[in-house]
Amino acid sequence: MLLEKVPKFSKYLESRRAELQKSESEEIDSDEDGDTNYSNGVSSNEGMRLHDRRAINSHTIDVWCWLVVEQPEGPALPNLLHTFQAACRYGFDSDESHLHEILDEKVFSKVLMFILCEADGIFRKWLGVSDSCRKDSFLKFMNTSEWKLVRPLMKSYLRSCLLLLNQVTDGQILVFILSRLRSSIVFFAAFPSLTELLIKISVHLWVTGEESLSLSSFLVVREIASMLLSDWYDTCMMKTYKAFIAHSKFFEHGNLKKVEFLMNSIVELYSLDLQRSYQHVFASLQHLANILSQTMKAKKKEELKKIHNWQYINCVSLWVKFIDCNLKDHDLQPLLSLSILIIKGIAHLFPSLRYLPLRFRCVQMLNQLSLSSGVFIPVASLVLDFLEHKGCTADATRVKAFDFSTVLKVPKHLLKSRNFQEECILSAIELLSAHFSQWRYHISFPELATIPLVLFKRFHEKLSNETLRRQVKRFIDQVEQNKEYIERKRAEISFSPNDHAAIDSFLQMEKSGSNCSFNQYYASVQQKSHSRSALR
Amino acid sequence: MGKKKKVILPPQLPPDIPDEEIEVSEEDLDFVNKNIEYAGFLSKLDTNLINRHVTRVADYKEDELEALYEKKKKKASLKKSKEEEGLQVDRVDALPIKTLEGELCYRTVESNIAHKENGSASEVKDTDSDKGLVKLTKAQRRQKLKKSKKEAKRQAKEEVKETVAEGLHSDVLAKVEEELSAQDLFARKKIKLAEVGMALLEDPESNIKSLKELLHICIDEDHNIIKLGLMSLLAVFKDIIPGYRIRLPTEKELEMKVSKDVQKTRFYESTLLNSYKAYLLKLMAFEKDLSFHCIAVRCMCILLDAVPHFNFRENLVAAVVRNISSSDDVVRKLCCETIRSVFTNEGKHGGLVTFEAVRLIAELVKAHDCQLHPDSIEVFLSLVFDEDLGKSEPKEEKKEKISKKKKRKQRLEQSNQLLVSEGKRRKHELMTKTREELSADLKSVSFAPDSDERRRTQSEILSAVFGTYFRILKHCMNTSFQRPMMNDISSSIGLGHHPLLGPCLMGLGKFSHLIDLDFMGDLMHCLKKLAGHSDSDNDNPSVSLTVSEKLQCCIVAFRVMRNNLDALNVDLQEFYVQLYNLLLEYRPFRDRGDVLAEALKTMLWEGKQHDMQRAAAFVKRLATFALSFGSSEGMAALVTLKYLLLRNSKCRNLLENDPGGGSLSGLVVKYNADATDPHLSGALASVLWELSLLSKHYNPSISGMASSISSMASMNPLQTQAYLSTVSPLKAFEDLTIERELLKAVNRKSSFNKKGKRGSEFVIMDAEKVRSLESEMDEDVIERKFEEHFIVLRDIEENEKLRLELNKTTSALRLYEEYKQHRKLKQKRKQKKQIGG
Repeated sequence: MLLEKVPKFSKYLESRRAELQKSESEEIDSDEDGDTNYSNGVSSNEGMRLHDRRAINSHTIDVWCWLVVEQPEGPALPNLLHTFQAACRYGFDSDESHLHEILDEKVFSKVLMFILCEADGIFRKWLGVSDSCRKDSFLKFMNTSEWKLVRPLMKSYLRSCLLLLNQVTDGQILVFILSRLRSSIVFFAAFPSLTELLIKISVHLWVTGEESLSLSSFLVVREIASMLLSDWYDTCMMKTYKAFIAHSKFFEHGNLKKVEFLMNSIVELYSLDLQRSYQHVFASLQHLANILSQTMKAKKKEELKKIHNWQYINCVSLWVKFIDCNLKDHDLQPLLSLSILIIKGIAHLFPSLRYLPLRFRCVQMLNQLSLSSGVFIPVASLVLDFLEHKGCTADATRVKAFDFSTVLKVPKHLLKSRNFQEECILSAIELLSAHFSQWRYHISFPELATIPLVLFKRFHEKLSNETLRRQVKRFIDQVEQNKEYIERKRAEISFSPNDHAAIDSFLQMEKSGSNCSFNQYYASVQQKSHSRSALR
Repeated sequence: MGKKKKVILPPQLPPDIPDEEIEVSEEDLDFVNKNIEYAGFLSKLDTNLINRHVTRVADYKEDELEALYEKKKKKASLKKSKEEEGLQVDRVDALPIKTLEGELCYRTVESNIAHKENGSASEVKDTDSDKGLVKLTKAQRRQKLKKSKKEAKRQAKEEVKETVAEGLHSDVLAKVEEELSAQDLFARKKIKLAEVGMALLEDPESNIKSLKELLHICIDEDHNIIKLGLMSLLAVFKDIIPGYRIRLPTEKELEMKVSKDVQKTRFYESTLLNSYKAYLLKLMAFEKDLSFHCIAVRCMCILLDAVPHFNFRENLVAAVVRNISSSDDVVRKLCCETIRSVFTNEGKHGGLVTFEAVRLIAELVKAHDCQLHPDSIEVFLSLVFDEDLGKSEPKEEKKEKISKKKKRKQRLEQSNQLLVSEGKRRKHELMTKTREELSADLKSVSFAPDSDERRRTQSEILSAVFGTYFRILKHCMNTSFQRPMMNDISSSIGLGHHPLLGPCLMGLGKFSHLIDLDFMGDLMHCLKKLAGHSDSDNDNPSVSLTVSEKLQCCIVAFRVMRNNLDALNVDLQEFYVQLYNLLLEYRPFRDRGDVLAEALKTMLWEGKQHDMQRAAAFVKRLATFALSFGSSEGMAALVTLKYLLLRNSKCRNLLENDPGGGSLSGLVVKYNADATDPHLSGALASVLWELSLLSKHYNPSISGMASSISSMASMNPLQTQAYLSTVSPLKAFEDLTIERELLKAVNRKSSFNKKGKRGSEFVIMDAEKVRSLESEMDEDVIERKFEEHFIVLRDIEENEKLRLELNKTTSALRLYEEYKQHRKLKQKRKQKKQIGG
């Protein structure tokens, strides 16, 4: 344009060119090329059509789709898959070397939708693979003559899907692609490198994605683990566990649910085949125990930090959950005793009241384990410390609501606050009533409650805070009531403590019924604690 | 030979001597001419080196300067020595023969690689000054190296500065000179210290006077020198102090004429003693100086440890005890260690120092009103008392006396018979008399006092120790009842409220067999009060004793009673009551579990008198205790419980559910768990239901124990002995501590034994939720999203293209601008040309 306007400029340009040649020659060349190209492109937008690069309109797609559905073996499928590949690559490597050019959004979405929805069915139909086909039977198909034809197409399809997964950021699309891929997981058996890539991508999405995306990517991982159990189960377990560890460093109110979900998914995954996951869990627990015992030896501040962080605690609670879920159907005694030891060790390592939230968690886990395994774990001594809180005086100030469940160590400024005092007492009541409610029908309940009752009564006499007094009183009354009940029942029996069978059947009838007053009390305590944490 | 030497030597000489001072002999000239290349090297070295020194001095770091200075000094002293030797001597011939040869060689090498060596040389120096303790050995090494030129150097001191200045002719150096001289002074003093010290060690007799010189060095401005001096003196004294106590001659003795040797010895001893005294005075003075406090205390500790028999030990002990409760950990540990070693190595001083130390500590405790660091009382635990001394020997003596009497009688009888040997006997008696005198003399000199004396010292020590213990107990009682002002102070120091009580109780437990019976009643009274003082009496918890301390009181009381069971008959009932209630107070994290286990062991396991009511009450309480507490405490309780059941067959009724409460139920018919007195709890009416829950305990050893106990119900009374286990509560407690258990668990192997296989259903997740996720998907929405995605992608692409286009256009425009300017210039030039034209 300039050239036309100012004819002399071209002359100058010529003269300058000699100088600039060395440094800018390429730039100038491309400059002019671009100029011309662009003007060409604009002018001949409709007319020009390169023959070797076929642009595809929606009509062709429709035809191809129809053809493919009618006759999967035909040439339409490769064409379609090429287009699919082009669509998947669209936008991120525009070397435009592929055969098909996509012109508008209709074509783009149609191709993607069709392939994503139908490819699985088409391949299955072609190879004659049923929906419920597992890896072993699928591998048989790999010897058939059709496999040679199908293999490149299938690979192209799967790889394009993975490419698309890496490309797209929208959650819903990702969920859709993942759910489509999940149905054809069995195909991945033929392509180990693609499987690894898929695991990597989906573990990443599982850890980072929001709720439904996270869930669906976990489902993919789980599908891989269950379909391709022998090859990929270990990898899946390792990768998810590692990702979980890396992700559980922080624990705030915001990601509480997320960490919970991650834990659940890992439990889910590890529960698929305990035969193989058992060693993983055991090794992990031993590692945790090892760290703990080393810390106990050293007792340095840096060492202690290894324990009272969320990573460590989350790992422990993860395995507690795992044990809790699988204890019914499997013999996990070594895991159980090891985890109890670790939890007790943690509680032992941090005796100070400052670590109350940590202790609370520990006791909660112990209660959980005790409930699921039916073994007796004495927790009273861990809880009774809570009553020793002496920092609070009558003039203690009330600070604004503080969520103790998101910390492991209470900040210093809160130690003397009223909230903390309340938290101490209410946690003690909550944990003890959980403990008691588990054994409420056991024949030795009165003895179990003796020492805590004595201490709570003593505490009650000194307590000045009226609302707390009422709650403590209620707890004492409830426990006493249950104690008297058991004592009454006990007076009616004639067997001795060494008659285990008789003891086990003691009050079994009542146990099955739920209208026990202590049980109701425990439910109300739980509800209160929930509402307390919800308030924050 | 001469030739050969010449070939080696010349390059070594020239850098050391400034040109103008060299008297060049003809031979030298010849030589230089012959070996022209060497000469060139020499001259180069000479100028280069010196110039470098002059120009760089200002930039040098301190340590480099130091090395530099050393080098120069050496040069100067070398020169000096040469001058002394006389310049007439042909230098080339004279030098290699001297011992200086080695030095010289070293010097030239050093001047070549001087800069490399600078670093290491200064390092050695640094470590020298830092580690005062190892100083002597290093000094020795240094001394050997430099022994040959020692004399020369001392004389050269004054000239050094001058020669250096002269030799270098430099203004810059003059400015740095002061710093240099400080460094130099330090090094020289160090060397001097080493020299004198070595000389003293080599031959103390003749060099004894140098002690004063050393003492003099310690009066210095440089702290490091003082420290080094103190340490050197310490090393010297440690080595030369004789194994006996020096007694200075009285005036009478001085007047007497004595041989030369005696004179010499007397002089030696008096000098040694005087300087030692001066040294100690100096140390005492430095002890008050903050910057020297640590080193002074260290010196005194080492001295006390090494020469506790020597004169002035009282002062040493006093100084060390003074620091035994220092707030400085290092100092305190040092003093405690020293006192301990004094206690354990009584042979060195015969126990007198021990007594002195104990007495001083007792006074210290009194002076500070029991507010000291626990360590200061803990040292008593290392006291060694010879138990045989107090008891067996007097008997023997009596025997001897008896036998002597017998003998005399016999002799009398004999004398009647054998009057002839009268004279002989007299002679004999005379001889024995002189012998006795002699041995008495010997005793006064030697450090092995006779048993009588030792017994006396020991009883004095004991009374001092127990006096201190009582003081502490009384103090604890008073403070816990009266709430004194001292508490604020003690808590601000960071010591507990009764810092000394722990070690005091430990000591009482350890030496309980040595306690005087007169004390006993008082002691038991104290312990009872201390153990019985509970929170309820006093609202301020900080004043009362902790559970562990109370338990310790109980333990001590039982120990004391056990060791003197025959002598006293005090009712221990109150201590049982205490233990019964303390079991409720116990908190695993706050209190010490091992103390609890120890208490169970001493009071229930080993206690002899058991009445059934009490045993039953404890059985019940221990079982309840095990239900609430961790596995290690629980195990300790169960072990004790089992033992009690074994011992008291009647208590085994608790294992059976006897509807009538049994015929034994006694006064109280119904069990009352809240009772504070074991006698009133009515435990015999209860049933040990706890065992059924304990047999479900997660810890297999506890559940096993519980089952084994509950099976004892059907036990044949005759079988008791077979059931007696050997595990004590303390052992049981330690076996089940979390640390141990964890360690065991870490090394355990485990394998999974298959039980059943699960399908692919979800374990923990909500299957509904998963399914709803599937149904949520709306294909239309997805399709639309894809379209949007495409549009976005296409837009991006377009955008990129446009941007590319824009870039190109702007660059084209820029070119055009350039062109326009260019043209303007041309036009101007043209115009100029036209105008010019």
